[in-house]
Amino acid sequence: MDEVADKIVSILKKNMKNPPEHVPMETKLADLEIESLDLAVIVFDIEDTFGIQIPYNANEDVQDFATVGSVVERVKSIIAEKGATGAAA
Amino acid sequence: MASSSKRRVVVTGQGAVTSIGTSADAMWAGMREGRCGVGPLTGMSMEDLYIHIAGQIKDFDPRERCSHSKPLMLADRYSQFAGSAAIEAMSQAGFHGRVPDGHRAASIIGSGIGGLATIEKGYEDLFILKKKATHPLTLLRSIASSAAAHISIEYGIKGPCFGTVSACSTAAHAIGLTYQMIKSGMIDMGVAGGSEASVTYGSMRSWQAMRVLSPDGCYPFAKRRNGTVLSEGAGILVLEDLDYARARGASILAELKGFAMTSDAGDMVNPSVEGPTSAMQMALEDAGLASTEIDYINAHGTATTINDVNETRAIKAVFGTHAYKLSVSSTKSMHGHCLGAGGGVEAVASIMAIRDGFAPPTIGFDTPGDECDLDYTANEGRERIISYAMSNSFAFGGLNAVLVFGPAPI
Repeated sequence: MDEVADKIVSILKKNMKNPPEHVPMETKLADLEIESLDLAVIVFDIEDTFGIQIPYNANEDVQDFATVGSVVERVKSIIAEKGATGAAA
Repeated sequence: MASSSKRRVVVTGQGAVTSIGTSADAMWAGMREGRCGVGPLTGMSMEDLYIHIAGQIKDFDPRERCSHSKPLMLADRYSQFAGSAAIEAMSQAGFHGRVPDGHRAASIIGSGIGGLATIEKGYEDLFILKKKATHPLTLLRSIASSAAAHISIEYGIKGPCFGTVSACSTAAHAIGLTYQMIKSGMIDMGVAGGSEASVTYGSMRSWQAMRVLSPDGCYPFAKRRNGTVLSEGAGILVLEDLDYARARGASILAELKGFAMTSDAGDMVNPSVEGPTSAMQMALEDAGLASTEIDYINAHGTATTINDVNETRAIKAVFGTHAYKLSVSSTKSMHGHCLGAGGGVEAVASIMAIRDGFAPPTIGFDTPGDECDLDYTANEGRERIISYAMSNSFAFGGLNAVLVFGPAPI
């Protein structure tokens, strides 16, 4: 796993009551018993860790948050966008 | 005095301050025409805010509304809303100046959080501006019992005086407890309700961080709903023992027939069906009514994905097939979510609905949300005979409080 994935998995584990040792990328967040409020806390932690902003509304089903891998991909694309914007500025 | 089991509790005054009207009558006129009080957020820094709407009250001048009371003029906005609504309600009930027997009267005015603007200003002064001192009234303005105290001082109310705290069920708990005190024979009358003025920068940031606010509007039970909208306000009733009110020659607006409160004891944000269901059932039992006798429900209806489906399921569990004959609406679609004041504002709406035979609408309703299949009085209010109305309040933490109102006893 890369650094972004490592950090995200550790954030997920920190917010779980009984985290498993390995969290494969295809794991569904629902299977980790992560609910809406947990997700708000996790998104906050990720934003804080990576210095980014993730649009997220607990009232909407967001595919980006379906699996661990999809969260990692979303965060990577936001980091890349931020980098691109920064370069252009 | 009648034995406690026979005491009946009536409403003789009501007051409201909301984003769609700053008196009970003005608010009701707004509801009748489906007015929306949600608009662009103003009066604060927009830094790092991505939610830019709220139900703010923009035409409330405390010097005018609380002109007779210097302490209220100097109080936090939350106390001023409460004071204004209480003065309106007490005037309607015919109480001017000190009540006749202060020890037999109560002032139970709750707030979800109390004087939050004062608290934030105090912290800004201390931690950002490094001032040598906070404003001397910081503490008295902040405490969430200050509105109840101001009203007790104003009217010489010397019996029970305190604030309730139960997030979005605060006002319903205050009204319900006052009802029980009157029923039990402890007091003869009480001023009861809730007030909230927490549309502040810090509060907006906290709610935003929970990711439950809508960036667009408050659309309860609708397909397009995507969160609630914060608002401010107050809703206050004057409750009295029926015989006491009659002896005074008071004009009676409605009867408070029943009240019940339950707690989910489950989760801070995910409500159970069972908790709200049992609260509604117990309120009906307390009122001595069959479920088929209810005509209108002023729903909690916050426009979050979870609440509206859960409340619909609970209503169906209580009312069975009658659920589809009810007029249901969430007036939050118009005045926004007044948090601790919500149950008070919505109690006023329920009483007005009975008086006028008019179910206020749920505005902004496009198509029904998944599993939302009741009659939510979409977009336009409806004339219908309303004998009995139920007002639901369900709060974070799973705190449920339900009030049942009926017509003035003949």
